[in-house]
Amino acid sequence: MQATLPTTPSFDRAAERARVQQERRRSAMIDVFVTLGTIALALLIGFLVMLIVGKDPILAYASLLSGPLSRSIRTGRWIEDATTLIILGLSVSIPFRARQFSLGAQGQMFMAAMVAAVVAIYLPMPPVVAVLLPLVAAMIVGFLVGLLPGLMKAYLNANEIVSTLMLNAVIVLLYDFLLTNVFTPPGSQSLRSELIQPNSMLLRFTPLVGVNLGRANLAVLFAAILVFAVWVLLNRTPFGYEIRTIGANEKFARYGGINTRRTIAWSFAIGGAIAAVAGVHLVLGVHQRLIPGIAAGLGFEGIVVALLARNNPLLIPVTGLFYSYLRVGGDIMEQEAAVGAEIVQVIQAVIILLLTAQVLVDYVKARNQRVREA
Amino acid sequence: MEQALQVIFSATFIAAVLRVTTPILLPALGGLIAELGGVANIALEGIMLTAACAGVLISIATQSEWLGLLAGVAMGVLMALVLAFFHLNLKADIILAAIAINILASGGTIFVVFLLTGDKGSTSALVSKQMPFVEIPIIKDIPLIGPIVSGQNLLTYVAFIAVALVSVFLYRTRAGIHLRAVGENLEAARSVGINVRAQQYLALALSGLLAALGGVYLSMGYVKFFARDMTAGRGFIALAAIFLGGKTPLGTMIAALVFGAAEALSVQLGNLRVPNQLVQMIPYVATLVALVVYALVQRQRAIARQRKFRQTQAV
Repeated sequence: MQATLPTTPSFDRAAERARVQQERRRSAMIDVFVTLGTIALALLIGFLVMLIVGKDPILAYASLLSGPLSRSIRTGRWIEDATTLIILGLSVSIPFRARQFSLGAQGQMFMAAMVAAVVAIYLPMPPVVAVLLPLVAAMIVGFLVGLLPGLMKAYLNANEIVSTLMLNAVIVLLYDFLLTNVFTPPGSQSLRSELIQPNSMLLRFTPLVGVNLGRANLAVLFAAILVFAVWVLLNRTPFGYEIRTIGANEKFARYGGINTRRTIAWSFAIGGAIAAVAGVHLVLGVHQRLIPGIAAGLGFEGIVVALLARNNPLLIPVTGLFYSYLRVGGDIMEQEAAVGAEIVQVIQAVIILLLTAQVLVDYVKARNQRVREA
Repeated sequence: MEQALQVIFSATFIAAVLRVTTPILLPALGGLIAELGGVANIALEGIMLTAACAGVLISIATQSEWLGLLAGVAMGVLMALVLAFFHLNLKADIILAAIAINILASGGTIFVVFLLTGDKGSTSALVSKQMPFVEIPIIKDIPLIGPIVSGQNLLTYVAFIAVALVSVFLYRTRAGIHLRAVGENLEAARSVGINVRAQQYLALALSGLLAALGGVYLSMGYVKFFARDMTAGRGFIALAAIFLGGKTPLGTMIAALVFGAAEALSVQLGNLRVPNQLVQMIPYVATLVALVVYALVQRQRAIARQRKFRQTQAV
C-alpha cells in the first residue's frame, strides 16, 4: 500500500511544517494588528464626533480612559462587569465558531438567574453546596434553553436568529410575570425578590482586600476556569474539532463523516450552559436577589467581546476587560464631561463594522504579502 | 370572559389593532423583500429607530411633517445602504454588520437627542409634527366599518396599500422576479446575466425604505415624540412575521395582524386584571411554533420533489 503513495523528492516535512507554522503566526499577528488598528480608528472617529458637536474631546477621553481606575469602587464595577462580559463572550464563541448565530444568551441569562434564585432562596443548604447547587441547576436549565433552538436549527433548519430572539422575548416576559406575581413577597414596597440565603452569596472582594471594590466577587474564578475549559473544549477535543470544521465548511464536515446536526445542536446547548453562569453571577454575586431587568441590555455585548477576540477563548478575557473598561468609562465620562455614554455604543458599532469587513483584513494581508515578496 | 369578548369584538379594538400593526407590517414587508433577495436584514430595528429619530428632529427644526417624513426615510435608506455597502462591497458578514447597525442606531439616536435637547429620555418637551389622520368621506359614516377604516393615520393606509404594491413588485415585475431569482440561487441568477449585486442593493434599499416608514409612523403618528429605544423590538417582531407568514406578502400581513392583535389585547386585558405578560407572550410562542411547522412543511415538499424527480428518472 505504501508504495503507491506518490513521493515528491523535494518535499521536506519539517521545513513544510515550520513554514505553515510561521504562516499561521504571521496571520495571527496581522489579526491582532488589524484589531488594534480598528480600535484606534474607532476611538479616533469618536474623538472627531465629539469635536464636531462642540464637546471637549480631551476632557471626555481623559475621563473615559482613566475613569475605571480613578476610584476603587469604579474598579470594582469594572471587574464585576468584565466578569459578566467574559463569560458571555465565551458562551457566544462556541456556536459562533460553528457559524451558528445563536442570539439566545439574553434569555438564557434571565432563565438561569431565575432558577439560581429559586434554589438559593427557598432551599436551605450548607455552605459551598449552597453555591454549587444553584450553579448546576442554572447550567442545566441554560443547556436546555440553548438546546431548543439548536435542535430546531440542526434538524429542521429553522432560522436560529428568529427562534432565539423569540425565545428571549418569551423568557423575559416570563421573568417579569414571575417576579411580579410570585417572587416579590406580598406587601413589598418595590418589585424585587427576597435576598438569597447568606450561604449562597458569592464572597465579595471588599472584605477580603480591605479596599471598597463594590460588588466585584469570586465569580471572577468562574470566568477564569471557563476560559481554560472552553479553550480545551474547542482546541483539544474531538467535539471542538467538529465545531471548528463545521464553522470552516459545513458541507465538507458532513462529507467527512461528522454528525453535523448533533454537533450544531450541542454547540447551542453548551453556549446556553455557559451563558447561565453569567446569570448565576448576577444573582449570587452582584445583586443577591432578583430585580427587574436583571440582565437587560447585555444580550449583544457578549457578541462584541467574542467578535473582537475572533472567537478565540484565550483572547476573550482581554477583549472582555477592554470592552467593559469602555462601558464603565463611558458612564464616568457622562458624569464628568457631560458627553452621553452612548458614544461608547457608537465606537463599539464602528469597531464591529470595521472588523467584519473581510475585504479590509484581506487587503492588509495581501499588502503584507506583497511587501515581503518585493 | 364576557367582558373580554366584548372588548375584542368592538370597533375601537379593531381600529387599535390596525394602529399597532402598522409599525410591524411596514418593516416586515421591507424585511420580506430583503429576505427573498437573499440578504436577510436584521437591522430593521436600527433602521426604524434612526428614521423615527431623524423624522422627529427635522420636523421640530422645520415645523413640517413632510420634511420630517422625507428626512426619516432618507436616513433609513442611508442606513440600509451602509449595511449593503459593508456586506456587498466589503464582504462583511451581513448578520454581524446588521447587529452593529442596530447598536449604532440605539446609541447614536440617544447621543444626538441628548446633545440637542439635554434630555436622554425623549423629545416630548419639544413641539414636533405628526403625519395627518385621514377621514374618508362617506365610509366614515358607515356604522361599525366607519370607525375602523376611516380616521387612521396616513401611514397606516400606506402600510396596507404597500402589501399589494410589494406583491405586484415581487411577482409581476421584472426587477422583482430577478430579485427573487437572486435570493433563490445566487450563482444561477448570475449565470443568466442578472446583476446580482445591483439586485441585492435594491432589496436592501427597499427594505430600508419600508422600515423607515414604520419608524416615522412610530414617532410621528402613533405618538408625537421620539423616545429612546422606542421601537422596543418591533424590528425583530417584524422579522418573525415574515417567517410566520411563510415568506409571502399576504402571509406577512396576516402574521403582522396577529402580532398587532396580541399587543392590542394585552393592553386591553391589562385593564381586566389578566397578567399582560402572558398575553404578550402569545405572538412569540406562536412564531416559534410557526417556525417549526414551516420547516416541517418545507421538508415534506422537498421530499415530495425528490420522489417526483426519482420517478421521472426511472421512466
